[in-house]
Amino acid sequence: MVTKLDETELKRLESQVEHGGGGAWEYLCLVRKLKIRRSDKVLKHGLLILNDPKKRSSIGDEEWTLYEQVAIAAMDCNSLDTARDCINVLSKKFPESKRVGRLEAMLLEAKGCWEEAENAYSSLLEDNPLDQVVHKRKVAMAKAEGDLLKAIECLSKYLKVFMADNDAWRELAEIYVSLQMYKQAAFCYEELILAQPTVPVYHLAYADVLYTLGGLENIQTAKKYYAATIDFTGGKNTRALYGVCLCTAAIGQLAKGRNKDDKEGELHTLAAKVLEKDYKYRAPDKLPLLTSTLKTLKLSS
Amino acid sequence: MAEDLVLDTTIRDWVLIPLSVVMVLIGILRYFVSKLIRTFQNPDGKIVKEGQVVIRARNLRSSADFIPPKSFRARRTYYSNEENGILHVPKGQAPNPQAQMFSDPNMAMDMMKKNLSMIIPQTLTFAFVNFFFSGFVAAKIPFPLTQRFRSMLQNGIDLSTVDVSYVSSRSWYFLNLFGLRGLFSLILGEENAMDDTQRMMQMGGFGFDPSKSLGAEKDSLDIVQHDWVLPKFEQRAEAVLRKLAK
Repeated sequence: MVTKLDETELKRLESQVEHGGGGAWEYLCLVRKLKIRRSDKVLKHGLLILNDPKKRSSIGDEEWTLYEQVAIAAMDCNSLDTARDCINVLSKKFPESKRVGRLEAMLLEAKGCWEEAENAYSSLLEDNPLDQVVHKRKVAMAKAEGDLLKAIECLSKYLKVFMADNDAWRELAEIYVSLQMYKQAAFCYEELILAQPTVPVYHLAYADVLYTLGGLENIQTAKKYYAATIDFTGGKNTRALYGVCLCTAAIGQLAKGRNKDDKEGELHTLAAKVLEKDYKYRAPDKLPLLTSTLKTLKLSS
Repeated sequence: MAEDLVLDTTIRDWVLIPLSVVMVLIGILRYFVSKLIRTFQNPDGKIVKEGQVVIRARNLRSSADFIPPKSFRARRTYYSNEENGILHVPKGQAPNPQAQMFSDPNMAMDMMKKNLSMIIPQTLTFAFVNFFFSGFVAAKIPFPLTQRFRSMLQNGIDLSTVDVSYVSSRSWYFLNLFGLRGLFSLILGEENAMDDTQRMMQMGGFGFDPSKSLGAEKDSLDIVQHDWVLPKFEQRAEAVLRKLAK
């Protein structure tokens, strides 16, 4: 997790490094610690340290960690020759290391040699079937190849063991949504809501999926989750406001002809009002569009 | 005792300081030795999985009210049905840690290594301290203490008349043994410092049985009352929006 304090520290170091104020090594350490993706900057400043023998020796044993970091950043920036050089140095220092083997496999992947990379990852997994990074690389590779079904297969296999990994659940949910397998996606989002019940993003995504699934019951549920999102975000989420309006309209249509014993709340009218107010304040020129939309939904007051 | 004991300054130079230095050096030596003989072992897949299952089941239990009743029921069945629920441990199949230890020579070996790096140096230092530094009154703490502290501070001196604020050499050894953690974390880096109290706790934790926590989790999951909170959120959202719309 990146805290606010980390973020300000990172920004400070980043601007300092960018303007040649030193502190490059501290910056790289922080990037590594927070696991954030600043590949271009890592590549630039990491190489500066690695190419300067004096600076390189001043960081001691951490030199090898830096080689690894720069190698990965280089692959991310598609400067494969640099990555190759870094990995060569590392494999000379640590022959037969699994960690270097992982880098080699990643380089193959970066080059696009899918089959060879696949084989390399598989052999790494044979040695250590619990290597989370390799599992995730396999999923990413399947995704890069465009083979989403295979990605799902790999990810499910991974989640069978590491079933408390939220990021993996989220990835799986997004893949399912892109394949329009909404029921499965809904399950994944439920899992995410269970793990972090106060994160509005998951409630919103779950509501979207339920609304897309359709059916009276699902849409009623979706409306509740949109309401939860509104509550968590303090009504600042436009998508959730629209969601409530759409759900109410859909429920009105679906429940037509049935007995309307459950009383309609005024949630949707309030949502419409807040939307109008918001548009008036932030995008006055789009206001006519909004009013006509709300009119078709029969929500405009 | 009315008058204060006067401690010879040579006691400070030849007992108090050498003892502390020896303890620090031994601690550092032990860290490097244990680093040398430590084996990296891959965690067992089954144990990892069971840990993850417990986390996920705990999540379900604590925030069950956030998912619709149907989803909750499906999950509960998945976790705790009697046939193949993932939290259900069939009777008699739970692995006995004792038996497991004997069947797996690696485990015994690991235990022995742990003991080697802990018990042997400890006995040796204790013998060393006893031999060279026994019987000294090594220091005096600058505040009075009650009689209860006598066994802690005056180990090795069996005199009931000595004021409790005097510290015997053997007690100084124990204080060092347990109190040098902060210094080690300065010398060896934050995560490398492992003091003996922690080690002892690890020893006590040996034989921890994950299937027991699975069973406990299943029991508490079985009694969870599901009460969907989402309908309440509609009213809460209304309140939020009403405030905004004003």
